[in-house]
Amino acid sequence: MSRDLSGLLEHPAIWRGRSAARVRTLPTGFAALDAGLPGGGWPQSGLIEILPSCFGTGELSLLLPALAAVTRRPEARWCAWMAPPLQPFAPALAQRGVALERVLVVQPQREDAGEKYALWAFEQTLRSGACDVVLGWLRSALPRQIRRLHLAAERGAALGVLFRPPEAARDSSPAALRIALEPAARGARVTLLKSRGGARGAIELFWR
Amino acid sequence: MRHRRALELPLQKSAIVPAPQQAPAPRSGDLLRGIDGRADAPAPAQLWLAVHLAASPSQPERQDLERLGARAQRLTPCVSLDPPDSLLLEVKGSLHLFGGVEGVSREMAAECSRLRMRGTLAVAPTPLAALALARAGRAGVFQRGHLTCPRSGERPDRARREATSGRTWSPPRAFAKQGQRSEMSGPGALPPGMASGTASSEDALSGRSLLSSLIVTDPAQLIGKLSPLPLATLRWPPDALGRLARIGVRTIGEALRLPRAGFARRFGIAQLQTLDRLVGRASDLKDRFEVRARFRRRRELLYELESHAALLAVLEPLLGELGEFLRARQCGVLALECRLRHRTVPPTRCVLRLAAPVADPAQLAALLRERLSAVVLPEPVRACELRSGQLVSRVLASGGLWQPGERGGGVAAQAPDLIERLRSRLGAEAVYGLQAIEDHRPEAAWKRREVVIAMAAPAIRGGWENDPGRNAVNPSLEGFPGPFDRRPLWLLPVPRQLGERDGLPRRRGALRLLGEAERLETGWWDGGEIARDYYTAVDARGARLWVFREREPPHRWFLHGVFG
Repeated sequence: MSRDLSGLLEHPAIWRGRSAARVRTLPTGFAALDAGLPGGGWPQSGLIEILPSCFGTGELSLLLPALAAVTRRPEARWCAWMAPPLQPFAPALAQRGVALERVLVVQPQREDAGEKYALWAFEQTLRSGACDVVLGWLRSALPRQIRRLHLAAERGAALGVLFRPPEAARDSSPAALRIALEPAARGARVTLLKSRGGARGAIELFWR
Repeated sequence: MRHRRALELPLQKSAIVPAPQQAPAPRSGDLLRGIDGRADAPAPAQLWLAVHLAASPSQPERQDLERLGARAQRLTPCVSLDPPDSLLLEVKGSLHLFGGVEGVSREMAAECSRLRMRGTLAVAPTPLAALALARAGRAGVFQRGHLTCPRSGERPDRARREATSGRTWSPPRAFAKQGQRSEMSGPGALPPGMASGTASSEDALSGRSLLSSLIVTDPAQLIGKLSPLPLATLRWPPDALGRLARIGVRTIGEALRLPRAGFARRFGIAQLQTLDRLVGRASDLKDRFEVRARFRRRRELLYELESHAALLAVLEPLLGELGEFLRARQCGVLALECRLRHRTVPPTRCVLRLAAPVADPAQLAALLRERLSAVVLPEPVRACELRSGQLVSRVLASGGLWQPGERGGGVAAQAPDLIERLRSRLGAEAVYGLQAIEDHRPEAAWKRREVVIAMAAPAIRGGWENDPGRNAVNPSLEGFPGPFDRRPLWLLPVPRQLGERDGLPRRRGALRLLGEAERLETGWWDGGEIARDYYTAVDARGARLWVFREREPPHRWFLHGVFG
């Protein structure tokens, strides 16, 4: 690229998709993933989707380095777990460096009301501004609801992480980042389904 | 409680204490020093006021004593209960605030009379001495701040002599209004060595007729004053008292003259220690009484209510009262219970749990509205009752300029709101924190933690958003060597049994076991005994699982966690 061209591209009136992703990010803890994500990490505010091929593929291991870093900051806010399908195991979280005193588990008790309460609580938590990260497990979510969650996350300056079944990859979604996760040898294969201004394609990760 | 300096008393070889044969005549300045400011005698390190409540018409109950103790805290922070019927106040620091010993005693007598309690007051440099003096004194009647006493134990001639001088008090001594003699209680057991006498009319005329007190402020005179008192005032066990009586020892003075070693051997070391504490040779530590403040109001309804809105309208004034109650104490509540009583069925309970101390009635009303909306009333409500949990002191913080999420905005200040909103809609148990516990058994290695946001002082450490909850339990297991590397991030609440084929577990196809077994065993100390071999397994779809096999027959396989 010639110098003229690069000078031209610096013009404020010229707008390119990749540079639009000037977002504040959290390092993921995986160098390969950081390189592929816009801004070099998870966005600090907004909603992202993770679509593991099945529960336990490593979707939590993918997030844990970032969670550990966020909860150990001196100005850390809550790290909320919204309707987790199983019990988060505290000793393992502590061993991976997550500050447990910043962890808040929200488990709506009313199963009969379906996901209504989980959605409500998810939105309240994202919007409150009291959380750095909100992890949510929803079985089904409409694009309209995800859009709402995304706006709430931006308002509360929180990172919302929505875990969805792999079938949801077919639907469109207003989330800023969508990631599919498949098991691989000693790690997982991450596919960026949607990434505003980021790279596309698959990235191999290895669990430490 | 403060430690009290043991009083220096001369010791003799053979005697516990060189009790004077005759109590020295009290000098006028010693006992009235608190009043007229003269300080001839060395000041005692502490001055205890004892209140002995009369057993008539009935034995005072613990509740009465606590009520009186709460009121006595107006006079001094050092109040100690001595069940079943006595109260001790350390009043040294309060003398100048209430006009000396007389003023404090008068205030205390007034508090007793407000609660319609009868009893005796005594002041002495040690708590036990004050108690003994108070018990030896006779029941008086507290009435409108005046204390009357039936009879003085003082010899009439001396009482008259002192009364005419108008300055000296000696224990026991009565100042009685003539007109109140009719309300006096009957004569109690008269201590031996104290002649019964009639209080002279000069007492009433001397102008200091408000109070009957047994007052010793000078440590040097303490033993002299205690000597004539019967040993029964010390409330020793009956057999010790009986043995002492058989050798002719009936008063404290006689007991103090006995040889120490023999006394301890024959009557018990505990009794000797009591004597030491009595005369101030050993320090006597008292537990400080603290009022357990709770808010509790009940309102009977004029007619039965069924609608939630009407109930809230009834509860709102109660919440307002609670708000005033809390504001006056600069406290907040962490739990609030609302009981709705019905005609036949047991009351409906509706509990609010708060993440941070709350005192604002409007906020409580909003939360209660959310909570009540989820309550189904089995019957119409006849009465409602509001009970607070324990009061928690709160630091008032000013509101933030910035909205949450803006730069430097009060981000964490929003957390209590969020948690309370979630709880009021989802239930108190729906929101919790996590805590790791050092235990090898997975089920016992964690527990739920109540989310309470500590209200730290805001200005001192530059904003308390730095450490909300950070002063809570913080078991840092990071870098903990060994088995925690192989712990899953997800745990099943209850292990789920797996199918089995050829000795290997199956879940969506055969599971592939990785690595070696990790054996977790025992737990006999709390009944949660286990004996398991844990493996890491990978299923057909690539999920890593934590499974175990029972060591006991029938050796079943269970799924217990997912690595995630």
